[in-house]
Amino acid sequence: MNRDPYAIALNNAITEIHKAYPDIKNSFIFTKNGTTLTGDQETDQQTINSIQESFENLKEKAKTIGNLESFTITTKDGELTLSNIKDMHLLLATSKNADKNHIHSITQVIIPTILKTMETLAPIQPQITPPKQLIVDTLTGFFAGDSVQIDTEIVKDWTKNNDDPRARVKAALTGEQSTPENIDQVKIETFGGNSTLCKVKEINDQNMKGKNMIRIPEKLCRTLEINKGDLVKVEPAS
Amino acid sequence: MTERNTETDETENELEELQEKLQEIKDQEGIIGYILRGTKSASIDLKDPTKIIDYAVLSSTAFDASTNMTEALQMGEPKKIVIESEETKLLSMNVNNHRLSIFMEKTVNHNKLYKNLK
Repeated sequence: MNRDPYAIALNNAITEIHKAYPDIKNSFIFTKNGTTLTGDQETDQQTINSIQESFENLKEKAKTIGNLESFTITTKDGELTLSNIKDMHLLLATSKNADKNHIHSITQVIIPTILKTMETLAPIQPQITPPKQLIVDTLTGFFAGDSVQIDTEIVKDWTKNNDDPRARVKAALTGEQSTPENIDQVKIETFGGNSTLCKVKEINDQNMKGKNMIRIPEKLCRTLEINKGDLVKVEPAS
Repeated sequence: MTERNTETDETENELEELQEKLQEIKDQEGIIGYILRGTKSASIDLKDPTKIIDYAVLSSTAFDASTNMTEALQMGEPKKIVIESEETKLLSMNVNNHRLSIFMEKTVNHNKLYKNLK
């Protein structure tokens, strides 16, 4: 079973549904690509795999009547329902005395609502902006200043992450900024293990644009023990 | 010998009765058609004959998948199978040792059909 927070939350939901509706004998959720997200304790993986295999085969053949939405089997002992919820499938096996309205509520209201809520909240996990590997160019002269210069596209890319609605949800819930709105500082780390924080500006030399370069003042290069042409890791500083 | 003849007569009568019901159902609004398959023979009546093979394969797969799933969960033999897609619905069931699949539009009340046929 998948153990990410999304799956754990779904598992808790399934457990609570089992407690509330004892007529549900088996239940599990799997994705369209066949990954089992969560399931009850009673149903072993072999059973789940066997059911999934049969269902996948049926789903393929059912394309002739359009995309399959639900599949229900009634036996003398109960009912088995496989519902299509967003990009997942929910299986519920119930006893013959199960209240059909309750089952309908679970498959059409409760689980879809949980999934929708999870979709909103799951991305609360911190957004990690991957460090960029950039080639060092030295800034020399009187106007070199103490800021490094990097490509506009890189800054835009980082800013795009800041605009991610998921990051905004996190900020709203924690009351913190997950990443600064405007990137004005970066962390530079050399492969020799030296690192520093410094102000950042967009590269102003047209010839340097789009070349995956970082222009670092000569003085700072000396501090970091790097030279022109070296690779450094750069990421926005929080 | 006489007993066996009586049994055969009864089965034939039941089958005739079933086919009469299916003829009536076929003309109802929203019914796309049906497939009735026995051990030795099959009768198919679909509005769109080009879909006969696809529908026959789906019908057969529905029975097989249902049996596999209910066996895996120890739920007993399938009595009624319903597959719903965006616009179409399939009702499958066993009647007098025949596998029956009725294809219909989603708006049709399949429970009413099931009660009529079982």
